[in-house]
Amino acid sequence: MQWMTIYKKECLESARNYKWVWVPLVFILFCIMDPLTTYYLPQILESTGGLPEGATFDMPTPPPANVFMMSISQMNTLGVLVIALITMGTIAGERKSGVAELILVKPVSYTNYVTAKWAAHISLVLLSIFVGLLASWYYVQLLFGDISFIYVLITTAFYGVYIIFVLSISLFMNTWTKVPGFVLFLTISILMILNIISSVFSHLLEWSPTKIPSYLPSLLRSGEVETDLWFASLFTIVTIVLLLFGAIQTLKRKEIV
Amino acid sequence: MLLTQNAIQFINENLAIIAPLLIIQVVLMITALVSLIRAEATNGPKWMWVLIILFINTIGPIAYFIFGRSHES
Repeated sequence: MQWMTIYKKECLESARNYKWVWVPLVFILFCIMDPLTTYYLPQILESTGGLPEGATFDMPTPPPANVFMMSISQMNTLGVLVIALITMGTIAGERKSGVAELILVKPVSYTNYVTAKWAAHISLVLLSIFVGLLASWYYVQLLFGDISFIYVLITTAFYGVYIIFVLSISLFMNTWTKVPGFVLFLTISILMILNIISSVFSHLLEWSPTKIPSYLPSLLRSGEVETDLWFASLFTIVTIVLLLFGAIQTLKRKEIV
Repeated sequence: MLLTQNAIQFINENLAIIAPLLIIQVVLMITALVSLIRAEATNGPKWMWVLIILFINTIGPIAYFIFGRSHES
């Protein structure tokens, strides 16, 4: 009951901030930008000039799966940045402005407070990602060729696990500091460090959460879920639970004054 | 002149493909403007945000939604 109240309050706040409108729209834009520019690349090159007279070079049309992966890699950079930006103040800002005091002075459990916020943001972000990738799928289908919708759905589902992981890191960082900008910095740095570590030791860390996107291309082509991807997702889910637990514990120990 | 004619022809031929992109950008811009008009206070002067939203494509409205809204209200 209490959990639902906080969840609804968070969703209402997102609606008041127009987040339910602009986040999906922005994600659609990010997702369809790359298929469109790839499709129009010959025309763009032609009109911007710079090619010597009579120069011709054939641009091979990339396979549909590659174009769809472009959208996902766009999500990995700009999308993750937007996610970190919209979540950076969710607890930190409330603690700074004193709203968190008002809420937590009532018999609201920290667990409910954190998980409800987490769930509200996940609803918004997952919906946005789903809509964005759906738009990307539509354009790829239209401009480049056939790509199985079921595979796209499976890929999106696994990618969603990774996105929930990103959100959980941001929420965890929210409990450590009261400065939203610092939360953003910490979230992005942790993700970057994780990325570097798991690409340097890629043979040792096959289950690292940041490796999930790199398993997606083969999943998209064949529709078969590799064992490594299963374990990576499982490991990611465990990490997410730990991060949430850690966030609740930090918030408790800080005993909001 | 030739170039603009080509451009017009190109747009006519590809309207169905490009239209969603334009519509989304316009909707984003309008949402940002509505939100700006209804907001009591913003971080920084309002007229500055109007210019940013209108003239910086895509990034402008996003920047307004993330940084422009003041959290006091």
